Amino acid sequence: MPLPAVAPFFPPAPIRHMQMRTRVHLLRRLPDWLTILISFVILLAAWQLLVVIGGYESFILPAPLDVAQQFVLVASDGRLLRHSLVTISEIIPGLLIGFFVALPLGYLLAKSPLAERLISPYLIASQAVPIIAIAPLLTIWVASTYWSRVLVAALVVFFPVLINIIAGLRSVPAELYELMHALKATPLQIFRKLEFPAALPIILAGLKVGATLSVIGALVGEFVQPKSQGLGFLLVTARYQFKTDLVFVILFTLAAIALSLYGLVALIERRVLRWQT
Amino acid sequence: MKKLVWFLLGFSIIIGLAGCQTAEPEPAGLRHIRLPMGYVADPQYAPFYVAAEKGYYAAEGLEIEFDYSFETDGIALVGANELPLAIVSGEQVILARAQDLPVVYVMEWFQKYPIAVVSKAAAGITTPQDLAGRNVGLPGFWGASYVGYVGLLTANGLTQDDVNASDIGFNQVESLLSDQSEAVVVYINNEPVQLRSRGEEINVIAVADYIDLVANGIITNEATLTNEPTLVQGFVRATLLGLSDTLADPEAAFEISRRYVEGLDDGRFGVLLASIELWRADTLGLTEASSWQQTQAVLLNMGFLDAPLADLNAAFTNEFVSQPMPQ
Repeated sequence: MPLPAVAPFFPPAPIRHMQMRTRVHLLRRLPDWLTILISFVILLAAWQLLVVIGGYESFILPAPLDVAQQFVLVASDGRLLRHSLVTISEIIPGLLIGFFVALPLGYLLAKSPLAERLISPYLIASQAVPIIAIAPLLTIWVASTYWSRVLVAALVVFFPVLINIIAGLRSVPAELYELMHALKATPLQIFRKLEFPAALPIILAGLKVGATLSVIGALVGEFVQPKSQGLGFLLVTARYQFKTDLVFVILFTLAAIALSLYGLVALIERRVLRWQT
Repeated sequence: MKKLVWFLLGFSIIIGLAGCQTAEPEPAGLRHIRLPMGYVADPQYAPFYVAAEKGYYAAEGLEIEFDYSFETDGIALVGANELPLAIVSGEQVILARAQDLPVVYVMEWFQKYPIAVVSKAAAGITTPQDLAGRNVGLPGFWGASYVGYVGLLTANGLTQDDVNASDIGFNQVESLLSDQSEAVVVYINNEPVQLRSRGEEINVIAVADYIDLVANGIITNEATLTNEPTLVQGFVRATLLGLSDTLADPEAAFEISRRYVEGLDDGRFGVLLASIELWRADTLGLTEASSWQQTQAVLLNMGFLDAPLADLNAAFTNEFVSQPMPQ
């Protein structure tokens, strides 16, 4: 039976399905960087299309080229780097403080039901307090604009990391504890040889979340205390001057910082958890 | 498990439906206008509350919804013609037009720029020149406070390098009282009232005494001006009536404000009285070209503006203010 006239344009489903699978297979074989680049180009194209179709003014939605031009401007005059370094200098200590405070507290809560009963309600309730409401007060309490911003970042990081630490420590199989006890291991040995390594994957997953949240935390701190430096300050000023293209540059920079931190933790994870593979 | 899922689903739907408020019916024939105010509900907005309460807006066929959102959001919404009107600070109009937002200032509400530098009397800061070498706290190096501060310095032959300025957030009162700052940049109708009510002896240097900058007023956009001039006219006329009534009887205006400002205590009456001094003018609502030129010059000096506007006069109009009031 002859094929209908449309056949060459619309191949039978199984063949099309196979071609699709081949294309997907080809995409999977591409190096990671190329896949990311392709997705980025698609994103830019969709964005440009949205600007054209929507007919938006640049102060509502700037085109990718406007943002790129603004990026070149603030990157070449050194503003972007200067403000980024200030924000990073708040993010890193915030992340570390949040993590290292959560670590012992998480251990205590995971191991002591009494401590959990005593402290957990307050910790959970504290998460209902909007950080933006207490950030201005932190400045007065701490009497340092810089450390109040770091503290805001640390507070934002603290809770998700804490939850992961508790979950990680509680995920250790009971039979492994029995084994350690049978081997007459000391509590320190149990922590070093069993609990910490076993909990590490979940702890690092929490740290990944914390890394991205620390960027938000530092920015919230800078919003409330817009000292004359930092990406938060630049963002406030850009909004004040209606420079939406600059707002986008800052948002992309923040995203890049968050991605870099995430990647750094992922790299650490790959190294320290090599034994898993 | 299945029951739990169904329960949660049903619960979510009920909560969601409960959250969906039905729109309040508009009074017959009135046009609903959402008005971005740029600040929280406050007796400073008494002229608008009075105009609403006494039916001046309704007489113009308008029903006003007071929207206490950020000033920059109000400008963007008016610039995008999503809203017809907003209350904003004058310098924001110039900055917005520099970025091609077609906003136009149609009524100057604050005739005096409301920024001031406040210090403890003991510090001996009585003139702008006394600020040289002093520690001055600003809410931030942006916004109306910063513009007013730089305007004050430049009008008095000082540069920013002459003063040790630092940004302290909106903690001016605490910073001054704890001697972290020798002087702080504030809104003249707010913090000085608070400080005096605490019994502090203070010196106040008003920016408006040295330079005439465009302060808060009403904006619209070019499309509304072209297509709906009667709307702008009606709104301005009603607001001016509310303003004159407030000036004539501040006590009554404050009482009306209680209906709009939750938990308004008597201590805030001083804020209204201080604000009134900034609103007075021979012709209410009138804006002057020289104010715009001075404001633009300050913004250029600060680097907030890359170049002068191609047509500064297009940023404002007195067309609606000079119309006769209805008797």
